[in-house]
Amino acid sequence: MRSSRRFIVALTSALFAAAPASAQQVGTATAVNPLSESTPPGGTTAPLMVGAHIVHKERVHTTPAGTAQLLFTDKSSMSIAPNTDIVIDEYVYDPNANSGHMLVSLTKGALRFVGGQLSHQGEATITTSAANIGIRGGTVTVIQGQNGTKVINVAGIIKIVNGAGTFLLTRSDFGVLIQGWNTPIQDLGRIPPGDVAFFQAYAMSKFNENGGVPGFTGANIGHCGIGSVQGTNCPQVPWMPSDGGELDATQLLGNATNFGTNQITPPPPPPPPRRPPCNRC
Amino acid sequence: MKDRTWRVSWNKVAGALAPALLLVVSSLPAKSQTTSDLLNPLFQGILAQPSNFNNALQYATLAPSRDIESAISTYEQLLFYNPNLASVRFELGVLYYRLGSYEMARGYFDSALKMKDITPALRQRAEDLIAAIDKKLQPDQFSGYVQSGFRYQTNAALGPAAGTTLASGRVFNNTFAARPDWNWFGAFGLNYVHDFENQRGDTFEASALGYDAQQFKLHQFDIGVMELRAGPRFGIVSDTATGLSIKPYFIATGATLADAVYYGGLGGGLTARIKLGDVSLDPYAEIVQQSFRNQTLYPLASGMSGTLSTVGLQASGPVYASLGFQSRVTYAHADANFNPFGYNAYAGDIWLPWNFSPLNDGRTWILTPTAGVSWWQYNAPDPTIDPNTTPNILEWRVGLGLEVPIWKLLNLGFLAQYRADVSNVPAFSMHDFSVTAGPTMRF
Repeated sequence: MRSSRRFIVALTSALFAAAPASAQQVGTATAVNPLSESTPPGGTTAPLMVGAHIVHKERVHTTPAGTAQLLFTDKSSMSIAPNTDIVIDEYVYDPNANSGHMLVSLTKGALRFVGGQLSHQGEATITTSAANIGIRGGTVTVIQGQNGTKVINVAGIIKIVNGAGTFLLTRSDFGVLIQGWNTPIQDLGRIPPGDVAFFQAYAMSKFNENGGVPGFTGANIGHCGIGSVQGTNCPQVPWMPSDGGELDATQLLGNATNFGTNQITPPPPPPPPRRPPCNRC
Repeated sequence: MKDRTWRVSWNKVAGALAPALLLVVSSLPAKSQTTSDLLNPLFQGILAQPSNFNNALQYATLAPSRDIESAISTYEQLLFYNPNLASVRFELGVLYYRLGSYEMARGYFDSALKMKDITPALRQRAEDLIAAIDKKLQPDQFSGYVQSGFRYQTNAALGPAAGTTLASGRVFNNTFAARPDWNWFGAFGLNYVHDFENQRGDTFEASALGYDAQQFKLHQFDIGVMELRAGPRFGIVSDTATGLSIKPYFIATGATLADAVYYGGLGGGLTARIKLGDVSLDPYAEIVQQSFRNQTLYPLASGMSGTLSTVGLQASGPVYASLGFQSRVTYAHADANFNPFGYNAYAGDIWLPWNFSPLNDGRTWILTPTAGVSWWQYNAPDPTIDPNTTPNILEWRVGLGLEVPIWKLLNLGFLAQYRADVSNVPAFSMHDFSVTAGPTMRF
């Protein structure tokens, strides 16, 4: 009896150990507006629901009206615009070592990726038919359309590589366009404000939607410097010391007092020469 | 006697500054470790049950102090649940603003202004930040300050106590001994940046600094200083670090003393900028040919003419929430026509600007403790002071500034400073306490 029990425990352990990595959760669907769907590896396509586990090799697809947000275990997130197709090709993350890598392919549509621990080490990549987009410590908007792939750097360093070369995006609100895998990467410079605002709203709930979670009607958020509940989200106020000129003046004056003045008392003037006695006065 | 003077001086200054420093320290959170301890379970809670929006909100309000991007992810999650909330849009705007992503920030501030639930204070703050963004995105950007007011000093000469004797037994020239006086002063600092709007982030930068003080009684210490630095900054594109750049520049300086031309300097330098997270590091090296002009009151000044070489490091960044820091350390080597006037000097200064809003009206007060120390080692004894002792001087200085908002860009500024020089040559020892008040405009 004891030996058969041991056999069952060992068999069960072996089955779990051999379970494919693809079943391991890599993230969660944190917001979903219909219709958005997901297809796990080897599984069937089903509507995506808030709270659904996202697994390795899963495909997420949004319809022309659907949007979704995925949150990954390394704290990165992906806001997915309507009419978008993505696949989580690779995802490995060891929270103890804070290391791993992720690879997501974007077949069509648009997404905004907000970086987490993996991107801080440069180990997050989004691929399209036109380029591989490496993200280091950053946030990026990627649009895959008929004209190719458009990449807008929101923050951080974005390294775009394709068959024609490499391009580094290091300035916020600057972007590139890549029309094909073997076409040169085109520098778009600063992206027009209207485009940035459009894509910001595009991958987000419309005003009559609730992302699959009704009932969130208000938030008592402490804002920095406003109200009785203080927040810690404070913009840095540009500031420069206003005593720079005074510091320079003080040093000049101190040196003048110490070294510029004459501390040696001039010698007394020589006495007038004595007149010889006058013999004929 | 020198040690006792040091202790007495330190006790006076520490007693004056302690309440202000206590105010700053007590407003900081107890331990950042507490925030870290809370964040991870909250994040795991979001992964397990994202619809628990109270859990998500708690994480979002704590995260900005540790992880801006994670806070962005969570606030955007909450915005999915209710896109009509001005407060959530506002916080996202601030987070993107802190990342330097100004168009994304502007998008959230603009949309926050359109929400029905926006409060007047939030509206004002959003509009202020949009104005700041507009300024940052201009190809030509100006920033700086203008200040004026009155200053009282216990030692306007920055000289030794009256009656200090020289090595020869003579008394230090009383015209330059320590005496109190009031002055009127004006100061300005102006920075100009032209952004060439290319991927590298190349710019042209110029800065001007000016200071003028007119004494009420001791006009031998009327002083005016002007300094100009300008040069192109070249961005360095790297796939491992952002914000790298290098800038060669020229320097021109001049000063008047006792209402006569006293000093002029021309030179150049090289500086770099390195960003480590939110901290900006600016190492620099510069060389200036200095020319001092003799005057009736300062007949030996030309002996200080020569070459001044300086290497230094400036650093600035946030400390926590609304507390920031600016610091500078330098080494300077001065060659002088008269060798005893040449020196090697080391100096360090730190400013800790703390923004706070005591009236909770969104208007920002700035309290700035400052501290600094300098050490001069001169080349040889000065025969007119002490022919047997090569001078060295240790200077330490502390200060506390307060700027109170009055109207729009106009503030009322107050500054209290204490400075003490301790030297092995009594004629070079001095101490000075000063208080300053007057209007300041920052832009």
